[in-house]
Amino acid sequence: MQRILQVLIRKRFFRKRYFMEKIFEQALLYDFYGDLLTEHQRQVYEAAVFDDMSLGEIAAEQGISRQGVHDLIKRCDKILAEYEAKLHLVNRFAKAKEKIGEIEKLTKLEADSNAEDRLHRISLLTKELLDTL
Amino acid sequence: MAVKIRLRRMGQKKAPFYRIIVADSRSPRDGRFIEEIGTYDPSTDPSTFKINEELAKKWLANGAQPTEVVGKLFKAAGIEK
Repeated sequence: MQRILQVLIRKRFFRKRYFMEKIFEQALLYDFYGDLLTEHQRQVYEAAVFDDMSLGEIAAEQGISRQGVHDLIKRCDKILAEYEAKLHLVNRFAKAKEKIGEIEKLTKLEADSNAEDRLHRISLLTKELLDTL
Repeated sequence: MAVKIRLRRMGQKKAPFYRIIVADSRSPRDGRFIEEIGTYDPSTDPSTFKINEELAKKWLANGAQPTEVVGKLFKAAGIEK
């Protein structure tokens, strides 16, 4: 149940960033877990995700086949996704970021009749944030 | 000599941010590029991008190849060949 919920949350987080979510998701996963890949995997994955190079270009640069590059990237995607499934660092980061953003917005608003509601919301968000740590 | 329009990642760890650049396909990794024609920021909600339409059209007309993701961005921005 917990797991299904986490997947749902993750999906919702990434779906919001509509059509380009893949390269963004890959970049975030790489930022968190990239150090756990091998040097060769990192080179190829960075070329694809940071420099937006095609499979053919990476293949030529690395001296391996296009198919080999494809398999390697797919494999890295899978490895990184497995780390995320176990450690949830990206998911936690995303949730915390969302809440901090909302707190920032709430504190910037002018004082008005809803000030009390806002303070209440802020303290709730802070509590939730502490729980994710 | 093939010229490509591609993304290049900038920004710190955990805050990806991309430039849309025009570059020679043979020297993609050394940091050089011919021209920057826009930016793409996926970490805002919704994601935001800026494209210099005039330059994009000029490079497309000159036969520069956009990558798949850049093609999608162009489409979203309403830029056609």
